[in-house]
Parts: sequence; C-alpha cells; structure tokens
Amino acid sequence: MGRAEGNRKVNGTEGERVPPLPTCVKFQLVSKMNKDAQMRAAINQKLIETGERERLKELLRAKLIECGWKDQLKAHCKEVIKEKGLEHVTVDDLVAEITPKGRALVPDSVKKELLQRIRTFLAQHASL
Amino acid sequence: MPPLSSGQQGGEGRWQPLEVPWTHTNIPPQCVQPCCRPLCYEQSEHRLHKSSQMKMEEMSLSGLDNSKLEAIAQEIYADLVEDSCLGFCFEVHRAVKCGYFFLDDTDPESMKDFEIVDQPGLDIFGQVFNQWKSKECVCPNCSRSIAASRFAPHLEKCLGMGRNSSRIANRRIANSNNMNKSESDQEDNDDINDNDWSYGSEKKAKKRKSDKNPNSPRRSKSLKHKNGFSVCTSASNTLPLLFSSSGELSNSDPFKYNNSTGISYETLGPEELRSLLTTQCGVISEHTKKMCTRSLRCPQHTDEQRRTVRIYFLGSSAVLPEVESSLDNDSFDMTDSQALISRLQWDGSSDLSPSDSGSSKTSENQGWGLGTNSSESRKTKKKKSHLSLVGTASGLGSNKKKKPKPPAPPTPSIYDDIN
Repeated sequence: MGRAEGNRKVNGTEGERVPPLPTCVKFQLVSKMNKDAQMRAAINQKLIETGERERLKELLRAKLIECGWKDQLKAHCKEVIKEKGLEHVTVDDLVAEITPKGRALVPDSVKKELLQRIRTFLAQHASL
Repeated sequence: MPPLSSGQQGGEGRWQPLEVPWTHTNIPPQCVQPCCRPLCYEQSEHRLHKSSQMKMEEMSLSGLDNSKLEAIAQEIYADLVEDSCLGFCFEVHRAVKCGYFFLDDTDPESMKDFEIVDQPGLDIFGQVFNQWKSKECVCPNCSRSIAASRFAPHLEKCLGMGRNSSRIANRRIANSNNMNKSESDQEDNDDINDNDWSYGSEKKAKKRKSDKNPNSPRRSKSLKHKNGFSVCTSASNTLPLLFSSSGELSNSDPFKYNNSTGISYETLGPEELRSLLTTQCGVISEHTKKMCTRSLRCPQHTDEQRRTVRIYFLGSSAVLPEVESSLDNDSFDMTDSQALISRLQWDGSSDLSPSDSGSSKTSENQGWGLGTNSSESRKTKKKKSHLSLVGTASGLGSNKKKKPKPPAPPTPSIYDDIN
C-alpha cells in the first residue's frame, strides 16, 4: 500500500470517505487542542528534571507510612487475598481492588500538604 | 504484498506496488502537493521541535490561569497517589507470590503471651521495676548484707582485687612509710611530689588534715630541733594562721600537698623563715594562709610568687635561693633579724598582706618597688620575663597551677638544716 493510501482515514462514524486533512493542518489542529496537554507535559517534564517529582513521591510515601495508611491498606489486602485465594491472586485483581480504596484512605492533612508543595512548585516554575 | 515482476505491466490502471522505498529524493508520484509531502525523520523532528518551542511561549501566558494551575496540581497529586498505590500493589503481589506475605502473622495464642501490660507497678513487659534495688546480698568475705546495686564495688574493696582498691592500698602503705620516716631526704620527697601530683591525691591531702594533731609531741620535737626560736607576732588581723610544724611537713608523704601542709610564718623566726625559704617554695596560700612546703620547683606556684614572698619576708635584699650566685645564708646577722622582726610586726594593713589578692594599691607598689628593682636584676635564670606586681599580688594568694620550667635544683646541703 502506498503512502497516500495510508493517509486515507475514516474520520466520521458513518464510514464515509472523508478526504484526509493535509498533514500540516492536522498538525496544527492537534497542537491547538492539546495545548493544555502540552502544558501539562512541559510541567511534568520540569518536575522530573528538577527532581521535584522524586522528592514529592518520597515525601508522600513517608507520610503515608507515618499515618498508617500502608497498614490499613495491608489489612484490606489480606482480606482480599483471603477471599480470592492465595494462589489465584493477580496484579490486576489487586490493582482493581486496592487502588480506589487507597485513594480514598489518604488523610486530608497529607493531601493538603502535598497540594501545597505542588502549588509552590508551579508558582515558581509557571513562567518558564 | 506479493511482489510482481518488474516486467508486469500496469497499463490498465492496476495499482502497482512500489518496489523501491521512497526517500526525499525519490518522491512517489502520488503525492506531489508541497505541504503534504512526506518528510524524512530529521525534518519532521525539526519541525516538531520548532513548533513545540512556539507552544512553550504561548503556554507561559496561558499557564498563569489559576484554575488551570489548580487543575494541574490536582492531576499531579492524583498521579503521585496512584504511583504510590501501584507500588504498594506490586509489593503485595510479589510478597504473595514469593510466599512471605503472611509471615508476620502470629497465632492468637502467642499474641496473648506478648500483650502489652498496663498494670500499676509493672512495666509494659510485666516486669517489676527496681527489683534489684531492695534486694540484699550477703558478702562472702565479710558476711555483711549489702544492697545489690552496691555489691560489686563493695566486693572490689573487700576482696582487695580491682584497680581502685590496689591503688588505695598502695597509697596507704606509702603514707605510713613516710610518716615513719623522720630523716627522709627532702629532695626525694620533692621528686615524688612533682611526679605524682594528681587531683585525687590533693583530695586525700585535704582529708588527712584532720589527722594531724597540733599538739602531738612530734611537732614540738621538731620545733626544738630548730633553735627554738619562735616569734609570736601581733601582726595584722589579716593574717590569721594556724601553727603547724615545718619539720613534719617537709617529711610528709609525697601525696599531701599545699593546703594541709603549710607553714604559718607568723610563728617562725627570721632564721627559720630564711632557711625555710631557701629550701621550700614558701608561697603563701590564699586559702589557708600557710606557706607552701613543696620544693622550690613546685609547679603550683610561679617563681614570681616565690620571689614576692621572699621579698616580703626578707626585705628588698631577698633573693631566691635558686640563684646560686647570690646565696647569702651565712651573712644574715642579728641586726638584720631585728629589722626583720619589726617588719613582721609591721601592721601590714596597707602593703604587705598577701591575702589581699588582686589588690592594686599604690602603696603596695611603692613598698615593693625597691624589691622588684633589685630582684629584676637577678632574673638571669628566670624563664618568665614580665613582673607585674598586681599579678604577683593576686598570684600570691591563689593556688593556681602554673607550671614554670624548674630552675636548677638547689644543693642538697641546705635541706639538712630543715631536718
């Protein structure tokens, strides 16, 4: 199949043959729509580059252990595993069961502190 | 795509596959519009990069929107929490699969054994606090009942094994030996004095002060040994002194130092004083108002203090006996002694009271001016170069642990006089 054929996509749901947009146009459209995504990507990149993301992760981990979140979640895990049977536990099962509970169990103080630190970072680095 | 031979004809409009991979030099004929031409890798990268740069600039302006920032912050937070949860899940899953997940569980019966105890009088393990304080043990040596916490030190002393007990015993032996010796060599004692000075021994010296009986016959005996000359001065009230024999002091054990073995110069005659000062340090201690009986090289007092004392007692012509060139023991005659007695009886309220440490009266300076001038010239063997009166006045009364380098030791012949 030639390259030109490859450009032909089925854009609409009806299956009509919509003429493919030229690449350059598509490019700009996509970038405009995803400006926010681009911004987020850039911020994420900055987070990683400065090492702030790692620091935040370590901080969060430490705080969660301190406040007993890990132990609570571990108890919940044990129940899940006992329910499912030790041999048949899969990662997906665990993830599906535990992640929502984990998100909910994070104490407010920890959440507030972390958000505060993120906001500080953004304020420092918003004007790139 | 089944490859067709090059010889196949596509004249009927049948689509022909490309056999040669296209490059930017070999543009396939189907797409010739300039904007849509396929780019090679480098060119597309370059374009992307440029556009992203443009996007960054645009982003900085729009990024200042607070709600967007807040939304981004929330997203970042959610990402971090999700990371933590996932990490936890992986750990648990690994533990399950490796088989150590349930290892830290104990059965309920064992749990009861190690429960935290919360009763009064017990610690959390259930043990009684201070159990060993009240218990008493019987010493196998002396058959006394000793408290448990004091048992080990008592046993050490009782059995005579261990470092401290042997030290104390040795000291006691040395002390008793020295007490018995009446003709001991002064110099030897001084040597021992110098070498073994330590804080603990000074404490012992202080303790032993009470052992001395001022009325013991030994004291009067040594007093008679000196030509019985005793001067009771009506000196100023600033010199309260106790009488204690000098002979005993010079023989005293090497571990007794200044405070308990000082001499009161009030009751000593000028001859005795002079001979004392030629052999002993003589610096008057602030605490006990006694003269130091250690050697002339005693590290507790400086040479200046010694010089000051000698000047005080023997006038401006006083000389420290270390300066051997100007030893004039034999030239001391009675006329001078009269002067000396009058000096000693001098109401020394203004000038010469050594107890006024740190006093810097001008009369004091004048009184000692002559003395210092003459003694300064004799500084040949002194290591310290300065002579400040105020310093010496204060130093005289205090027992500071200055350590001047010892001058040449005096000849042993002088010591025989004292003994």
